[in-house]
Amino acid sequence: MDYDAIKITAGVVATIGLYSILYKENKFYRFFEHVFLGLAAGYTIVAQWKDTLYPQWWLKMFGQVADVDAATGAVTSPAVPGNWIYAAMLPIGLLAYLVFNRKHNWMSKIPIGVILGLWSGQQIQIWWNTWGPQIYSSMQPIIPTTFSTLSVPSTVEVVNGRVMPIQDPVALANVQQQLANNLYLTQALTNFIFVLTFASAFSYFIFSFELKGKFLTGINKFGRWMLMIGFGAIFGSTVMARFALVIDRMSYIVNEWVQALTQR
Amino acid sequence: MNLMQYMLAQQAIEETFWRKAPGQGLILWVVIGLALGTGLCFLLSTVPTNLRKKVIFTFTFLAGLPYVLAFLWPRPISADFTNDVPRNTGEQIGFFINQAVEPVGTLTNILGGFLLGVGIFSLVRVHSIRIKRKQENWGYSLVLLSSFAIMTVVGFWDWRLRAFVDQTGALNVRDNWQPVNYAQDLLFEGIYQQMDSAMFSMIAFFILSAAYRAFRIRSVEATVMMASALILMLNLMGALTYAWGEGINNLVVQTGNPFLMNFKLNVFADWLRSTMQIPAIRAIDFGVGLGALAMGLRLWLGLEKGGVTA
Amino acid sequence: MTIWEKMQKVDRRILYAILVVCVCVGLFFPTTIPTDPDPSSKSFYAEVMKLEKGSTVIIQTDWTNSTRGESMGHFENLMRLMMHGDHKFVFYSAADPAAPQVARTVLARIVAERKGQGLREYKVGEDYIDLGFFPNAEATNTTMGSNLRSVWANRKSKTPTGGEVDVWQTPVLKDVKNIGDVDMMIVVTASASIDVAIQRLAQKVPITAMVTGVTGPGVLPFYQSGQVKGLAIGLKGVYDVEYMMVNGINDVEVEGKKVVEWDKVGKVDRVNEGTTFSRGRAYYGTLHVALVLLILAVVMGNVAMFASRRRKGDAV
Repeated sequence: MDYDAIKITAGVVATIGLYSILYKENKFYRFFEHVFLGLAAGYTIVAQWKDTLYPQWWLKMFGQVADVDAATGAVTSPAVPGNWIYAAMLPIGLLAYLVFNRKHNWMSKIPIGVILGLWSGQQIQIWWNTWGPQIYSSMQPIIPTTFSTLSVPSTVEVVNGRVMPIQDPVALANVQQQLANNLYLTQALTNFIFVLTFASAFSYFIFSFELKGKFLTGINKFGRWMLMIGFGAIFGSTVMARFALVIDRMSYIVNEWVQALTQR
Repeated sequence: MNLMQYMLAQQAIEETFWRKAPGQGLILWVVIGLALGTGLCFLLSTVPTNLRKKVIFTFTFLAGLPYVLAFLWPRPISADFTNDVPRNTGEQIGFFINQAVEPVGTLTNILGGFLLGVGIFSLVRVHSIRIKRKQENWGYSLVLLSSFAIMTVVGFWDWRLRAFVDQTGALNVRDNWQPVNYAQDLLFEGIYQQMDSAMFSMIAFFILSAAYRAFRIRSVEATVMMASALILMLNLMGALTYAWGEGINNLVVQTGNPFLMNFKLNVFADWLRSTMQIPAIRAIDFGVGLGALAMGLRLWLGLEKGGVTA
Repeated sequence: MTIWEKMQKVDRRILYAILVVCVCVGLFFPTTIPTDPDPSSKSFYAEVMKLEKGSTVIIQTDWTNSTRGESMGHFENLMRLMMHGDHKFVFYSAADPAAPQVARTVLARIVAERKGQGLREYKVGEDYIDLGFFPNAEATNTTMGSNLRSVWANRKSKTPTGGEVDVWQTPVLKDVKNIGDVDMMIVVTASASIDVAIQRLAQKVPITAMVTGVTGPGVLPFYQSGQVKGLAIGLKGVYDVEYMMVNGINDVEVEGKKVVEWDKVGKVDRVNEGTTFSRGRAYYGTLHVALVLLILAVVMGNVAMFASRRRKGDAV
C-alpha cells in the first residue's frame, strides 16, 4: 500500500468513525471526535503563528535583510527595517490571559475592547457602502408607462412547430426596443410586489411593538408571510448545500478510496 | 554575488526613530519596546476601580476612530496613499488617517492572535485537569491532548523546514519530502480535513430526518415557507426544469400563445426569487444591518450596557 | 397502531440508510443533464469570460474541506477558467488559516492536469502568487481598499526557479498600484466573508463570487443591486458553470437552437480546451436523487400526519 492509499484510508476510517454517531452514541465516535478537536486546536496554533503573528508581528518587529540573487546580484527582495515598538504588543496581548486572574481580570477586557472598537468603527464606515446601492435598487417604478398590452411583448414565435426567437431581425429589434423603453402593467405589478414584500417584511422585522388597526395588522401579517418565503428560499438552498456535502463524502468513499485501493 | 553588492542592498534602509535596520541595535530597541509595554501594563494595573471603565473605553474608541474618520474625511478619488504626495493640509490629514488604517488593523490582528491562544490555553487546562484528577472519560482527554501536541509539533517542524531550511523550493515536490512532511500531510490533509468535511455533511442526515418528522403544514406560515422551498428545490433539478420547459414549449406550439412561456419552472422560480425571495432576505439583512450599526455605535461610544466597558 | 402512525414513528436510522444508499447508487451513474443555468450563474460566466486575455485577478479563497462538496468544484472551475484566459492571479484567504493549503492542493492538481493535456503550465511567481492567510477579513479588506500595497508589503513569492521574490516585483503585481488596477476580484467562499468583501471593496473593483448553498441566499440581494456582478451558488452553480464551459452562452447550437440562451449578453464563447465537465457533472445527478428523497420525506410525513389525524377523528 503506497502513501496515497494510506492517506485516503485514514480519511475514510475517520469519516466512518464520525458517521458512526448516526447509528448510536459509541466509543469509536467519541475517540475520533476528540482527535478532531485536538488536531483542530493544534493546527490553529501553528497557523496563527506562521500566518499571523510571524509575518505581521515578528517580521515587522525584527525587519528583514535584503535577498539578493546570487547569479545576477539583483535585489529580489529589498531590506525592511524593524519597528521595535511592536514589541510592546506582547505584554498588551498577554493581558488577555489575566481573565484567569481574580485580581486583574478586568485588564483582559483591554485587548477585547480594541478588537470590538475596530469592529464598531468599521460598522459605521461600511454601512452606506452596504446599504446605499441596495436601498437604491429597492426603489423600483410601480406605475406603468404603457397599457398597449398588459403583459410584456414576447420575443419568441412558433416556427415549423418549434418555439424559436423571432426570426425577422427587424421585428426582433423592434420588440426589444419596446421592452427597453416601456414599463408594462405586469412589470409594474412585479415591481410593486417587490417593494411591498421588502417594506412589509422590513416593517415586521423592526416594528416589534403591538400594532393596532386592520391595515397595520394586515401589513404585519403579510410581512410575516413574506419572511417565510425568504426562509423557504434559505431552507431550499441549505438543503442543496448539505446534500452536496454528503454526496461528496460518499464519493470520497466509493470513488476516491476504492480507486486508490484498486489502482495500486 | 559579491560582498559589496550585499552591503549595498542592506544599506538601502532609511532609519527613523521607530524603524531600525535589522541587527544588534534593533534587538536592543526591541527589548526597550518590551519594557515599555510591560511598564504600561503595570501602570494599568494600578488604575483605580472607578477609572477602569474609562481606560477600556479609551482603547475601544481609539481602535475604531481611524475607520470612522477614514469614512468621514474627504479623500481624493483613486489616491495612492503610499506614493502620492498630499497637496494641502486637508489632504495631509486624509493621508494620515488612511495610512493609520493598516497599522491599526495589523495591531488588532496581533491582539487577535494572542487572544486565540486564550481559547487553546483554556481547552488544554480543562483537559489536563480532567486527566490529573482521573475524572470520567479522562482517556478521551488524553487522546485530545496527544493529537493536539502531535499536530503542533509536526506543524511547526514542517513549517520550519519549508520556510527556513528549504531555500530552493524542493519541498514543493513530494519526491523530496522528509518524514515530517508526510506526517503533516497525513494529519492535515488525510485526517483533519476529511473529518471537517464529515462533521458538516452529517447535518444533511438531520435535515432529512427533521423534514420527515417536523416539517408539517400546520399554519399558513408553514405552508408558505414550504411552497417557497419546494419551488426552489424543484428548480435546482435541471432534468425536471428541462422536461417541464419542453412540455410548456409543446403547449405554446399547440395554442400559439407565447405568454405560457412564463409558466416554465425556471422562469417562474426566477420570478419568485427576484420578486419575493430577494426582497424578503434583504429585509432581514437590512434589519440586522441597522442593529449592527446601532450596536457598533453603542460599543464604540461605550454606551452598551453589556459591552466591554460595563 | 395504524400504518400511518407506524410511518410517523419510523426509526431515523432507516431514513439515514435510505439516504446513503440513494446517494451511493446515484454516484455510479454520472450523466450530462440538460439545464438552464441560473441568471446569476450566467452573469458570473459572462463576466469572467469577458475579461481580456492576461487580466489581473484577485482570488479570495475562503473555503476548506468542510464544504468540499460545493467549493472544491467551484475552485476547480475557476482555476480552469483563469488558465484558459491566461489571466494572472493572486490568491489568499481572509477567513480560515486552513484555506490556502486546500486551495494550493487543488491548484497543483489542475496545473498537473493541464500539463498532462499538453496545455501551458502555470508557474508560481510568474502566472500566479500564493499570498497565504490574512487574519481578520474586516481589517484586511478595508486596508486593501485604501492601501493595497501596504497589505501585501514584504510578502514573498516562490519563483519557478526555486528562489523567492518580493510579490510586487513579480509580473503578476508589478503594474498594480491600488485595487482599482485589478480587473476583477473573485471570492470563493463558504461564509459571510463575501459580505465583508462587498461592503469594503465593491465600489472599487468588480466583484464576482462562487459561494455555497448556505451562503447564496444572503448574497442574492447584493447581486440584484449590482454590488456583485456574477454569482455561482452551490452545487447547481458548479454544474451551471461547467455546462456553460461546454456550451457557452448564445454559442453552441443543437438543431438550430442555442443550448444556453440569455438575452442580457451577446455571444459568450465556450471553453474549447482541457477539462470542462468535472465534479459538477459527477455530483449533479445524485443531487436530483437526494432532493427527490427530501421532497418525498416531507410529503410522506405530512400525508401520514393527516391520515392518522383523520383516523383519530373517525374514532371519536
